[in-house]
Amino acid sequence: MSIEKDIVSRATKGDGAAFAQLYEEHLDRIYRYIYLKVGNRTEAEDLTQEVFVKALEAITTYKWRNLPFNSWLFRIAHNLVVDYFRKQGKIEKVALDDDIVLPSKSNPALTAELALEIEALAKNIENLSPAQREVILLRFGAELSTAEVASLLAKSAGTVKALQHNAIVALRKMSSSEK
Amino acid sequence: MNQKLENILDKCLDRVFDGESIEVCLNAYPEQASELEPLLKTSRAFIRNSAAIQPAPEFRARVHSRLRAMSYTRQEKLERSKRIPIWHRKWLLAVASVLVVLLVGMGTVAVSTSALPGKPLYPIKLAGEQMQLTLAFSDIDKAKLHIQFSERRVIEITEMASQGKNDTIFALTGQFINHLQQVYEIGNVDELMGNGVKTPAATSALPEEAEAFDERGSKEELRVMLSNSREESLFALGNALAKAPESTKANLQQAIEIATREYDKALYNLEKHSN
Repeated sequence: MSIEKDIVSRATKGDGAAFAQLYEEHLDRIYRYIYLKVGNRTEAEDLTQEVFVKALEAITTYKWRNLPFNSWLFRIAHNLVVDYFRKQGKIEKVALDDDIVLPSKSNPALTAELALEIEALAKNIENLSPAQREVILLRFGAELSTAEVASLLAKSAGTVKALQHNAIVALRKMSSSEK
Repeated sequence: MNQKLENILDKCLDRVFDGESIEVCLNAYPEQASELEPLLKTSRAFIRNSAAIQPAPEFRARVHSRLRAMSYTRQEKLERSKRIPIWHRKWLLAVASVLVVLLVGMGTVAVSTSALPGKPLYPIKLAGEQMQLTLAFSDIDKAKLHIQFSERRVIEITEMASQGKNDTIFALTGQFINHLQQVYEIGNVDELMGNGVKTPAATSALPEEAEAFDERGSKEELRVMLSNSREESLFALGNALAKAPESTKANLQQAIEIATREYDKALYNLEKHSN
């Protein structure tokens, strides 16, 4: 039994410490994915919290299949984000707020530079098609494998690879024209 | 050809995710290297920049403690229910419901409201609260009850803190959050069920305006009640923190932070929807 499978198995039996381990393991990627989707720190925090609360509420019904646990978590996150945009009547766009938390606060120059790069990145992502954007955020923001992204979006691995390739080509062109 | 490049790019990306350098991949596919290189560099920049987006440490800690409290409550419930066979549980539930209804009239539930966790009357207190919520006539009434019960949880937290019972503080904090979350959810509802009694204004010539006015009034009343509750609860928790044994201070501090946030969230939501 893999380490993750063992932790998940304990969490499904109500072991709070095991669930806490899963939380620590996946929090950053879930948050990053949601933040890049909604572009607002407070909303991203609320939605991220909701993902884990929902996961904890449903963990006893979780059945281990051949996909890693994070596929299940990202499905919850993906559905919550879709609901969020539907309820708000907003169109999905990646306009980041200024309240982003960056790790290198001790070096203001580096932080400012990084913030600018992330802002430029967000603008470029916004220019991708919705399908390309989703694949890129799940693949690079959430660090999911191609198989996981394909399963989550109900697309074939070949389609995901094609969308990924086209998105990177488009991003490359956009960043070249900025220089 | 393009499909081949898509597959190679995908494989190289997996290797970059695993920490391998771009050059190793370019050497592995010399024929595609010129096409791959710019794409991999763009991808690497993306991965590096997005990895810098991280949740704030306070947020991480706050959610961690909330999940811990929720887990503890679930575990406790699970263990309690395991101790009683299923057929027994159904009977107990039925008998308990009848008892609560009878005892409401006899004042036992009223006596139990001061019962603390671990005491024999405490389950009656919780059952009584559940019954009151079930019987509440409107959303506003339900929200008021949740505020009232959240205050009870605060009193219990302060008592448990003075007794050094950290585990119970966790569980109670979880229940406290649930009550305020319910208030938050009710605040989300744009058209609340009124209190069932039509005010003179609600039967006037412009019923829709009158009902809207009535609803704004109910939400305002709820907001004031919640605001007062916030003041009192935070004051009580702050006092308890000053007197609490060292072993419970960290948990109590967390409970204060969670309480502040949950109150503010619910208040903000009520203000947003009552304007």
